[in-house]
Amino acid sequence: MINLKLIIKIIGSLLIVEGIALLIAFGVSLLYMEPDVNSLLISALICIITGWIISSAIKNAHGKFKKNDGFLTVTLVWIVFSFFGCLPFILSGYIPSLTNAFFETMSGFTTTGSTILNNIEYIPHGLLFWRSMTQWLGGMGIIVLSLAILPSFGIGGMQLFGAEVTGPVADKLTPKIHETAKRLWGIYVILTLIETILLYVGGMNIFDAVNHSFTTISSGGYSTKQASIAYWDSPFIQYVIIFFMFLAGTNFNLIYGCFIGRFNKLRKNEEFVTYLFIILGFTAVIFIGLLITENIGKEKTFRDAMFQVVSIITTTGFATANYLNWIPFLVFTIFLLFFFGGSTGSTSGNIKIMRIILLMKNCRCEFKRILHPNAIIPVHLNKHSVSDGIIQNVLAFFITYILILLLALVYFY
Amino acid sequence: MKIVIAGAGEVGTHLAKMLTNEDHDIVLMDSDADKLRNISDQLDLLTVTGSANSFIDLHNADVYKADLLIAVTPYEERNILACIMAKEMGVKKAVARINNGEYLLPQNKEKIKKMGVDELFYPESLAGKEVASSVKQVGTRQLIEFSGGKLILMGIKIRENAPIQNKTFEELATYDTKIHAVAINRFGKNIIPHGKDYIRNGDIIFFITTRDYQNKVYELTGKEIFPVKKIMILGASRIAQKTIERLGDHYRIKIIEIDKEKSLEVADRYNNVMVIHGDGRNLDLLKEERIERMDAFIAVTGNSETNILSCHLAKKMGIRRTVAEVENIDFMAIAEDMDIGSLVNKKLIAASYIYKYTLGAEIAQAKCLTASEAEVFEFIAKENSKITSATLKDLSLPVDLTVGGFIRNGEGFVAKGNTLIQPGDKVVIFALPSGIKDLTKYFK
Repeated sequence: MINLKLIIKIIGSLLIVEGIALLIAFGVSLLYMEPDVNSLLISALICIITGWIISSAIKNAHGKFKKNDGFLTVTLVWIVFSFFGCLPFILSGYIPSLTNAFFETMSGFTTTGSTILNNIEYIPHGLLFWRSMTQWLGGMGIIVLSLAILPSFGIGGMQLFGAEVTGPVADKLTPKIHETAKRLWGIYVILTLIETILLYVGGMNIFDAVNHSFTTISSGGYSTKQASIAYWDSPFIQYVIIFFMFLAGTNFNLIYGCFIGRFNKLRKNEEFVTYLFIILGFTAVIFIGLLITENIGKEKTFRDAMFQVVSIITTTGFATANYLNWIPFLVFTIFLLFFFGGSTGSTSGNIKIMRIILLMKNCRCEFKRILHPNAIIPVHLNKHSVSDGIIQNVLAFFITYILILLLALVYFY
Repeated sequence: MKIVIAGAGEVGTHLAKMLTNEDHDIVLMDSDADKLRNISDQLDLLTVTGSANSFIDLHNADVYKADLLIAVTPYEERNILACIMAKEMGVKKAVARINNGEYLLPQNKEKIKKMGVDELFYPESLAGKEVASSVKQVGTRQLIEFSGGKLILMGIKIRENAPIQNKTFEELATYDTKIHAVAINRFGKNIIPHGKDYIRNGDIIFFITTRDYQNKVYELTGKEIFPVKKIMILGASRIAQKTIERLGDHYRIKIIEIDKEKSLEVADRYNNVMVIHGDGRNLDLLKEERIERMDAFIAVTGNSETNILSCHLAKKMGIRRTVAEVENIDFMAIAEDMDIGSLVNKKLIAASYIYKYTLGAEIAQAKCLTASEAEVFEFIAKENSKITSATLKDLSLPVDLTVGGFIRNGEGFVAKGNTLIQPGDKVVIFALPSGIKDLTKYFK
């Protein structure tokens, strides 16, 4: 039996959180006094009031919060958030159609980063800030945020966490889910701050610096400029963004480990090492390819190659070069990267390195099993054997992923 | 408080469940990853897959930062070793579960403590003690003594013949001021009664009183005290053996065991009991052994269903006192409905025994109430603690806590609204699971 009362109540209180986020965007718009001020304020109020009515109208919401409740809540939250999040775009008239506004917001919250805008600079600052903020909130996850700031989620917290966190297994940093969520968001905020400062030092204005660090750390990729990062022809800015995109694709548990001085966890983590080598390998191939075919200087070639590789593997989607104009071999190499994704427990999307590793290792083990039918050959990861359940889960994930991809391909073709 | 529990067996899991409801950081260790996954889906705790006696695994569980290690794997050697190792690594307190009564002897306790194991507990022995005392205390479901009997808590099932049935608690209070009803167990649920609540047939009422008024309580509840002489025990489990040891030589005990080896072993060990080798579920056998002549029937086989059904049967045959071991917590409410007398659950007993180490305040005793997850504690009120700041009426304790009585200068008193707790008093306080985390606030 689904615990609808509790789910609706949780969504109600999350709407209040979204309303507060909208209020922050409203604050930004006040600084610029552009025509989006009213729409942001009205949307914020709509969110807060709706949320407040829902969460105070539902009484006696308790009882068991099971796994299916967790999945339903997480799914519903994305839809409800996108719906309320697209209000400012519609109300201000900058994206008048519901379809486009909903697309833009959903693309933001899910950190997909596709946009329907073809003249980004025309959008007022408040709305642009909100657009980046949707990615920032979606990057670490709205549920994780609410677990961190709303202690009342003690009930069912684990179900929600497990349903939202990416990857085949949900790891905790501390025994209490509330503390884990707090730490994850703490790191997230600290990284955002550091990047903002570095981008500002590198020559961006403070507005662009904040927006871009929002969308880098969340691996979202919304920019405030039509030309994306290529707008700033500054090697420093690009290297900073490369580094933070790389971090965004790293497991946040490992980053937390580094924060508390456990650096050797990085070295021992097979996924991280693979992630690093994939990036270095692809960068090397593209660097050599570009060096032969294009003539833009060694440093710029290296930077372009690395930027594109990191941006695509972490599903950020910033661009400093138009890789479609490269030679077919390089385009194909870049295309391969679309099947990787960052590490589990990172903000990036896609299949994720851990699943790729497990798939590959399982393939190798399958061959061995054919040769030695009676041998017990478990798949190992980080020196521990991985249970069959997880392997099956990964296989099913991969197949579903490819099926959806094919369906979309057929449909668009 | 940071607590590491090694062993996700029945006791470990139950403890983890109880402790996560409060503000403790729990790390649960076990070598079975699947078992841990199931638990971590339901409880807000950290799980570590590993062995309790591995330095690396203990380190991964952050034992060096922990305040308490509770080693409850099925193997006592491993538990003791884990405690010694964890102590070496810096844990503040280590508690181990054992299966060997020898370690508990006073002369050995000191030696064990020197090795670094602060406390040992033996669930079967604790359960045996509980069973023995419920056989001795006919009429009550549970009887807990505080400070050597200065105050007693009696849990009594109300039946048709109880004079206080259908009276309110206010009326009950007018009968005698030395008797205080602290809690009711109704349909398997614990409630803290208010003055206007009625006493119903089928309730288990928990009274706090002094030794002198014990008989008065029996009178009010229509209980008749009869001597117990002949006891039949089903199953020669460790609990049964511990019960026999506790009961001593004043009883005539028959024990029925299905396993030949075990029967021989028990017959060899205890010569004051008659061991019958046979299936306790066989009615003919029971009749042959004159079950109807028994004063008490104790079912402590490893199988909860067998225990429940055989006690039910024994009740039907007219045995007035029955005790069943029910290990499956979900069964307890059903068993309570079937009217089969006292229930004993070694997990709950063991968990409350360990529980006291996790409470920061000074605590003399912690016990769980039968057939429920509610607890009763004996706290020592410290100087300047909140409980001593005002009379109970003015303290406005949360609804899930109630003070039953207190012991001052070696004399027990029943709590009233105008009672003012003084520093040094031992306070008997009853708490529903939801209220436990507020408790320490009042005693610090």
